[in-house]
Amino acid sequence: MIRWIKLAVRNIKRNKRRTIVTLLAIAVGFSAISLFYGYTVRIYWYLKEGAIRGESLGHLTIYKTGRLEKGKIDPEKFMFSQDEISKIVDCVTQEKGVILATPQIHVNGLVTNGTISTPFISQGIVPKDDKVIKGSWGRLRPVTGDKLNDRKPYGVEVAKDLAKLLNLEPGKDAVVMAPTLSGQINALDIQVAGVFDTGMAATNDKLMRLTFGFAQSLLDTKMADKVVVLLNDTGTTEKMRSSLLAKLTGAGVDAEIKTWDEISLYYARSKRLLDVILLFIFFIVFIIVAMSTVNTMGMVVLERTREIGILRALGLKQRGVLLLFTIEGGFLGILGSFAGIVIHLIVCTVLRIFSPTYIPPSGSTPVRLWVDFVPETLFILVAFMTLLSSITAIIAARRASRQNIVNALGHV
Amino acid sequence: MALIEMKNIKKDYVLGETIVHALRGIDLRIDKGEFAAIWGPSGSGKTTLLNLIGVIDEPSEGDIVIAGKHTLSLSDNQKSALRNESIGFIFQNFSLIPVLSAIENVMLPLQIKGESFSKTREKALIRLKEVGLGELVHKRPFKMSGGQQQRVAIARALVNDPYLVIADEPTANLDSENAHAIIDIMRELNEKDGITFIFSTHDQRLLDRVAHLLHLEDGRIADEETRR
Repeated sequence: MIRWIKLAVRNIKRNKRRTIVTLLAIAVGFSAISLFYGYTVRIYWYLKEGAIRGESLGHLTIYKTGRLEKGKIDPEKFMFSQDEISKIVDCVTQEKGVILATPQIHVNGLVTNGTISTPFISQGIVPKDDKVIKGSWGRLRPVTGDKLNDRKPYGVEVAKDLAKLLNLEPGKDAVVMAPTLSGQINALDIQVAGVFDTGMAATNDKLMRLTFGFAQSLLDTKMADKVVVLLNDTGTTEKMRSSLLAKLTGAGVDAEIKTWDEISLYYARSKRLLDVILLFIFFIVFIIVAMSTVNTMGMVVLERTREIGILRALGLKQRGVLLLFTIEGGFLGILGSFAGIVIHLIVCTVLRIFSPTYIPPSGSTPVRLWVDFVPETLFILVAFMTLLSSITAIIAARRASRQNIVNALGHV
Repeated sequence: MALIEMKNIKKDYVLGETIVHALRGIDLRIDKGEFAAIWGPSGSGKTTLLNLIGVIDEPSEGDIVIAGKHTLSLSDNQKSALRNESIGFIFQNFSLIPVLSAIENVMLPLQIKGESFSKTREKALIRLKEVGLGELVHKRPFKMSGGQQQRVAIARALVNDPYLVIADEPTANLDSENAHAIIDIMRELNEKDGITFIFSTHDQRLLDRVAHLLHLEDGRIADEETRR
């Protein structure tokens, strides 16, 4: 095999200009796919962490069965009692791989500064648990002022555009109003503890974070509408859902569990869009690389028809001719892919040095343009490009290998 | 003992709406160890006949037996194996692979056969020395003269120890000195190793030294002469 590889390499070097053009086509195609893939990997990570940690969704959310479908009609019926919350938290936290389980409650209502009133949406959260859920993500979205804490239950965090609308800032007072579970309107005084940026324009003018106890008081209940579970490893989410569901059912809790990506519609839609774009780019690159290598190998085969005739006359079988051109095509694929990896690394380095930023379509703050280097994906891409070039070489060489030897020898 | 037997061989080529009758019924027998020449005017069918003997083409009609094998019943792979192991080719325009050095060109048939690198190299070196190119083994064809290239082609044709070597006008592109040298080498190998040589030629120098002479004209054997 080594001798044929040697022959293939020498043949590749025959027409340097044509080889360079083909390698460039493969390299540019390779880097286009790998860079966009590296970009989407970073975006997916960002969206995933944003959902799990930024939106405090955790990895799994436990609802009472039917809550998502019928909870709006009769919320109380689909909420967990204190006993159920304790049972769920005990049951879930016993499982290996679970970091914590914490109750949350959703509140919608009006917030007013005495002059202006505007709707808000909020989650009632346990501050110490939320700190664990946020983890290092919290540093990306810092709170101006104080964070939520149980020592000051009426202190709230307000999203920055909402604060601006109501002219609120840390230390200022306001009033929130919301219907209790029994349908009465309840109003409570609040004090702005901190102001934060949700990172999304759509929620920055309506989101608030309340302590779990305060949110319960506003809704006049001791119940929670969900229990959020944080896991050690995102990769175990699906497996953990099944095992926790079995465990809760065994403990007599009537519950359903949703994963973070089922709840975060923004993640699912963004991923779907980027996946389609990636597929589109992949398809275009596939066509360009395939046509480029078919064209190159077609010319190579045409130019070397006489040589094919000589080799066949010397006893090389048809499959031997195919093998020879397959190796050549494969080499073009490998060399082009490695050139593509070099382009990828150069672009990654430039992005790290200059740190350009951009504001995503639905975002509120600039994010850094970043491309991940994913070795296993690059390896798969190298294999794919090599295979693609080899197959196109076979397509080009197939006819020549079957050609009548005398005709091939007479080719000029 | 007959190495090659051809019975009523016909070969037609279709050129558009015209059928060209290249061979019109050839009966031929060539024994092992012969030094035979096919001569005749251009278009008489010399190259076509050699192509059929070399199993790189098929007749339109007739039967060819080479070393007891009916070549028409062989598969493409079997024909390839027969050419590789038993037949050596020397072409008019040398037909060397330009990206390979002299020794690599000579090694090709053995490499196709799948022999080990060391054995292949050793055999190729011996054959190159035999044709007087022991000093030029690493030269590429484009850096060699026509005579040197033809010697490489002879070494390549012989490296697999074939029982038959087919040469299509081997001295046509050579000057007188080189032509003589090539004829000497071929004759010596024929006498020393008993290799059967069949070649087409116009070269009188070559024709003077053959034992079996076939005169081809208009696709038929016009005359056949065996000299002692």
